[in-house]
Formats: sequence, structure tokens, C-alpha cells
Amino acid sequence: MIKFAPIVWRNLLRNKLRSLLTGGAIMLAIALVCVLRTAPEGFDAFLKALAKNSRISIHNTAGIVYSMPYAYLSRVRAVPGVVDAVSWSWFGGAVDVDEGVAFPNFAVDAETIGVVFEDLGMEPAAVEHFRTHRDGALVGRMTMKRFGWQPGDEVTLTSTVYPLTLTFRISGEIPADQDPRFWLQRAYLEEALKAQGIASDQIGMIWARIDQAERVPAVMKQIDDMFRNSEAETESETEKSFFQNFFSILQGIIAVFLIVSWLVTGCIVFIAANTASMAVRERLRELAVLKAIGYRWRLLFGTLLAEATLLSTLAGASGALLSLGFTRVLGTLASTTPQMGPLSGFEVTNWILVQALFIAFFVGILSGVVPSFGAARRSVAATLREVF
Amino acid sequence: MALPLHYPLRNLAHRRLRTALTVTVIALVVIATTLFLGLVTSMRRTLATTGSPDNLIVLRKGSDNDGSSAVPLEAYQALRFFDGVAKNGKGEPLASPELVVQPFFFTEDGGRENVLVRGVEPVALEVHDEVRIAEGRMFVPSQGEAVVGRGVASRYRGVELGEELRFGRSSWKIVGVLDSDGSSFESEVWVDVRELAADAKRTIPYSGLRLKVAPGVDRDALIRRIEADSRWTLGAKPETEYYAKQAESADFLFILVVFLAVVAGFGAAFGATNTMYAAVQARIAEIGTLRALGFSRGTVMRAFVTESVALAVLGLLVGVAIAVPLAFAVSQALGGIAFGLSTFSTSVITLRISVFDVAVAALLALAIGLGGGLAPAWRAARLRPIEALRKG
Repeated sequence: MIKFAPIVWRNLLRNKLRSLLTGGAIMLAIALVCVLRTAPEGFDAFLKALAKNSRISIHNTAGIVYSMPYAYLSRVRAVPGVVDAVSWSWFGGAVDVDEGVAFPNFAVDAETIGVVFEDLGMEPAAVEHFRTHRDGALVGRMTMKRFGWQPGDEVTLTSTVYPLTLTFRISGEIPADQDPRFWLQRAYLEEALKAQGIASDQIGMIWARIDQAERVPAVMKQIDDMFRNSEAETESETEKSFFQNFFSILQGIIAVFLIVSWLVTGCIVFIAANTASMAVRERLRELAVLKAIGYRWRLLFGTLLAEATLLSTLAGASGALLSLGFTRVLGTLASTTPQMGPLSGFEVTNWILVQALFIAFFVGILSGVVPSFGAARRSVAATLREVF
Repeated sequence: MALPLHYPLRNLAHRRLRTALTVTVIALVVIATTLFLGLVTSMRRTLATTGSPDNLIVLRKGSDNDGSSAVPLEAYQALRFFDGVAKNGKGEPLASPELVVQPFFFTEDGGRENVLVRGVEPVALEVHDEVRIAEGRMFVPSQGEAVVGRGVASRYRGVELGEELRFGRSSWKIVGVLDSDGSSFESEVWVDVRELAADAKRTIPYSGLRLKVAPGVDRDALIRRIEADSRWTLGAKPETEYYAKQAESADFLFILVVFLAVVAGFGAAFGATNTMYAAVQARIAEIGTLRALGFSRGTVMRAFVTESVALAVLGLLVGVAIAVPLAFAVSQALGGIAFGLSTFSTSVITLRISVFDVAVAALLALAIGLGGGLAPAWRAARLRPIEALRKG
């Protein structure tokens, strides 16, 4: 079979313009499919990464904007199986009050944040600096990059929830490209609120790390039971479940992305099929001659199919490469719009590339099969009569 | 001398399979573009039609959504009597003190979302004059009653007129359904502001105020007076501006749509070019005959461009005919499409293909038709009659 490879290649080059146009169309379409798939895939990868840790969120059953007493923290920390827990309260700080809140910022307990979020891989020195400096701050890489901040920089945030403007010194980075969060010390906030005569015995929620993954369901139940019939009943859930719910409002957009990517895949099939049928139609005469001198129909069918598949796979591979360029541009544009959440990553993973090549390969086969089969199976007499 | 219009059209009918494949490609591009564009314009429309230009929204300075803002009681009591605030027939100021919280609601398939619950006083209906009670009646304060937006009623489990609605720490009786011509108030639940503050244990009772500016009053002067008051740090802006800012989160999606349309458009144009080249190739003798009969180059070229544009128009018609019901089906299947990360709460959007979306798709299809037809038509026009006749 391999000795027919030059024939397949020559056939492909016979109508260079057509091959180029078809290849170009498939390339663009595959690049689009890759770009569109980054959104749902990125969302899945985001959730999968969270599923690895044994961290749970504890919040008021009524909603995450409903508060609970700070005293809950010590009770959660005392539950067997809880490695440590940290309180978490929305500060709503803005760098520029006219621009509004540009990234999520929370007041957290400096003593325990490093333990609860150990898996984020923050530098021990940064965590230690945050623990020992009341005005310290740990900042996600996405936000650091966006504002061009470095550890040691001074940052002033004006709260939109409290009548406060606080200045922070950045202790270090939360090392994740898509992490926009900004953490400040709860003690610092509390002190500033006290100076204004505002009580601060309420917190937004609690994050707790459990020692073993198997214990998570039991610990969650124990915590929720502990606060049942209290002033603030709690709901515990895994970190994955929390973010899945938090971003569930993006599901509609993801659905549209997926539908559009299927439609574009459909385009590829029809473009390729059109080309294959044109190529076959033009060669009816020579196919008939080849059959008349004794070549088997299977061989003719195979070479025609190989031609369509080769074109589509080559184009698919260039499309996959092209998508890397596209996503780089889109990623730069997206970094200014945090509202897209985990959809703004635009990372073409290896898995997406593999999918793209598979799509291109099967589209090639699919598009070539009907016209090639028809042409190869036609009787010699019928074809020759038609063309001469 | 011109060729009759049915010449290019009949040619399309001649090579049925090729025409069908190309039309399908263009139709798919049209569907993809209109669907995606429809999502973006639907999102924009929901937010951009919300609010009235003579309403001011007063929040804590720097707060860009009323879910994270706090306005003290004294500020409300002072601001409602500021000059320039409109009054109703009974002489009461049209100032609506509001508290926004976002409790959990559950969708039919168990998803949990933050829904915007707005605590208001009955005056709210006079201030938000685009909001109407479509069914039932307005709630009576301190009776544990609620009115729900249309979007909320369609998206969440057990939200129906007459039903008990559980959220926050208590249960509320649904006595009415709100309608506001598709604006984002339809994604909200309205209850008595005092009851909501008690339920959410808010010490500062209000998150924001909405003031109606009296007719003929200098709106900007009123804004300056509110912002200059040193007793509180408040910011005021027209409601329309506030919602337009929230609509900005759709901007990035808009860039994506343009990207999609351009790239897919090029792909489809390449496909159309192939088809048209093949059409020219198959008809060389015919073109030679036409030229020999005295039809000019321009006439031949126009015939082929027309053929290509006709392909695109067919694709457009098929595409739009599929995209409109598809958008409706997607919207129904998802119970409206939810969006609103910037406000921390869910806006329910009805995905609908607008005239604008179709117009953009038509332009795209036209570009595909012209882009795909020009080069092949040029080749057809340049054929020398004698050679063409010999070749054919």
C-alpha cells in the first residue's frame, strides 16, 4: 500500500489551488474548534484540579452573602479531622473607586491561611511575611500581572462595604496564572473597624482542610449538625462543589460555545466532502481506465480515501497550530475582563490538540468515503460509455 | 446585452450536490454566528434596557453594584428631601430605599444560583416606572409576602404565584409576578425592605437608594450635591449608566463573536471559491460560446458573481430559518440563559435572534458570496473565446 503514497501525493497536487483552498478552510475551522473548546475544557480542568484537595467550604445555608459569627471558626477548628480552618470575609476593596472592585479581595486569618491553602504552593517566606505583618497581603498572579505589582509594593484599597481605606504591603504571590484573589489580614480589618466603632464579629464563610479525603463527608455532616437550629445554620460542601455552583451561571454560555463548535465541525465535513466529490468526478475517466487494465476497486477506493484523509489531517494539524496563536491573542484581550472567570484561560491543552487531529482525520475519511466508494464501485462499461 | 437572471440560478440547480454542500457550509456559518451574536445582543439588551435616565442610583462611593454597598438610614432620610427629587401626587418624594441580598435559589436540575432579592417599599413601583405587576398584586409590607420577576418564575424550582418561597432564613408567600419588558428587574425578587434586613441581619438597613429626578431639574447638579455631602461618602449616577457599565461584561464575548465570524467567514468563502472554480471549469465551452455570441466580459463576470451570491443568499435563508428556532430551543432547554458574574447574582436572559443579528449574518453571507465568487468569475471573464471553445 505504501508504494502508492506518491500517487496520493501527486493527486493532491494536481489541483493546487483547490487543495489549498480546501486545506485553508479546514485549517481555519479546526483552529476555531480548538479555540471554542478551550472554554468548556478549561472549566472542567478547573473543577478537576479542585477535586484533588480535601478542602471544604462552610457557609450560611441561606447564601454566601449571608454572614455567620466569628465564634464558629474555633468550633470548626476543634472538630476531629479538621487540620485547620480559616475565616473568609468580603472586603470589596477597589484600587480606584471610580473603576469599582477590580478583583475579589477577602479578609482572612493570617495564622491559618497558609495551612488551609498549603496546596497552592505559596512560598513559605511569603506566607510567613503575611503572618507577621499586619498590613501584609497575598495576591493572585493574575492580579499581580494585571497591575504590574511586585512583592514589597504598597497598595491602597478603598472598601465598598465599609467606610475604610487601607494600605497594604504585598507579602507575596498566590502562584496560579488564573488566580485573581487578594487576601488581607482579618486582624488588620478588625482593628480599623474598631477604630470607627463598627462591630466585626461576623464572617462570610470558613474554609477548612480535612486530614483525609475519605473523612470529608462525615466531617461535613458533623459540622452542619453542630450548627443546626442555631442563629446561622451552615451548609458545608467540597471546594469543587462550591465553585461548580458559583460558576453555574456560566453553563448557558458554555452550552452555546459547544453548539457553535459542533456547527463548525459540521462545516468541515461539508467543505471536505464537496472537494472530494469534485476531485472524484473529474477523474471518472481515468478511474475507469485503471479498472479496465486490471486494478482492483479496493485499491482505487483506498487511494482516493487516503487523499481526502491526508489533506484533511494536514490541514487539521496546521489549524491546531494556528489555534495556539489565536488563543494567545484572545488570552491577552481576556485578561482585562475578569467577569469571564475560568472561561478566560484560553489554554489549548494537549487533549484539545489530540481531539482536533482526530476530528480532522475522521472528517477526512467521512468526506471521502461516499464519493470514492461510488466512483470505485462503478462498472467499467458504464463509466467508459459515459465519458467517451 | 445582459444574461437573464435565471441563467446563474438554473446553473445552481444543475449541480445539485455541489450546490447543496456549499449552501450547507454557509448555512452552518450563519447559524453559528447568529446564535453566538444573539447571545451577546440578548445579554446587552437585558442590561441596557434596564433603568430610566431620570432615575439616580445612590451607592457607597466606589461600589459598582448594589449588592456590595451600604447606605445609612440618616443618608436616606436626608437625601429624600433634597431639592430636585420628584414627588408623587400625594407629595411624597419618589425616593426608594433598597436593600439587595443574593440568597441561594435552586434551578429545576438542582443547580444553585445567587438570585438578586431586592427589599423595597411600595414607592418602588413609582420610582421604577418600567416595572409592572403583570399577575397578582404588589406585596403588603410586613406580611411576609414577595413578588417575583418573570425570569425568576421560569427558571427556578417551585417559584409560582400562590406558592411559598423559601430563601434566606424564612419563607415568603408569592403574591405577584413582575414584568419590565425584558429588563433585568425580571430576574429579581422583591420583598419588604424591613423584613429582608431582619432576615439577613443587616445592621445598615439599605444598600442603595433610587431617586427620581423631578422634570426640568439639573440632574448633574443633584449628583454633585449628593457626592459633595461630607457626612457620607456616596456616589450617584444615572441608572442607565449604571446598567450600561454592567453590560460591559458582554464586551469580551462580542470580540469573540467577531473573531468567530471573520474566521468562519473566510473558511466558508474558501469553500465557495472551490465550488465556483469547479463551476467555471465545467462550463468552459459554454462560456466560450457565450463570448463568441457577443456577450461581454462584464456580463459573463456578473453572471458568475450572481451565481455565487445566490449560493450565499440560499445559505443565509436556510441558516436563519434554523438559527431562530434553535435559539428558542436552547433558551427553553436552559430555562433562559443565566449570566451576571459582575453583579454577583444571576440575570436570566432569553436568547433571541434579533433583526440586528440577522443583518450582521446577511452581511457576512454577502461577503462570503462576493469573496468566493470574484476570483472564479474573473477567470471566466478572461477566457479567450476561441481557446475556450477548443478546450471544451
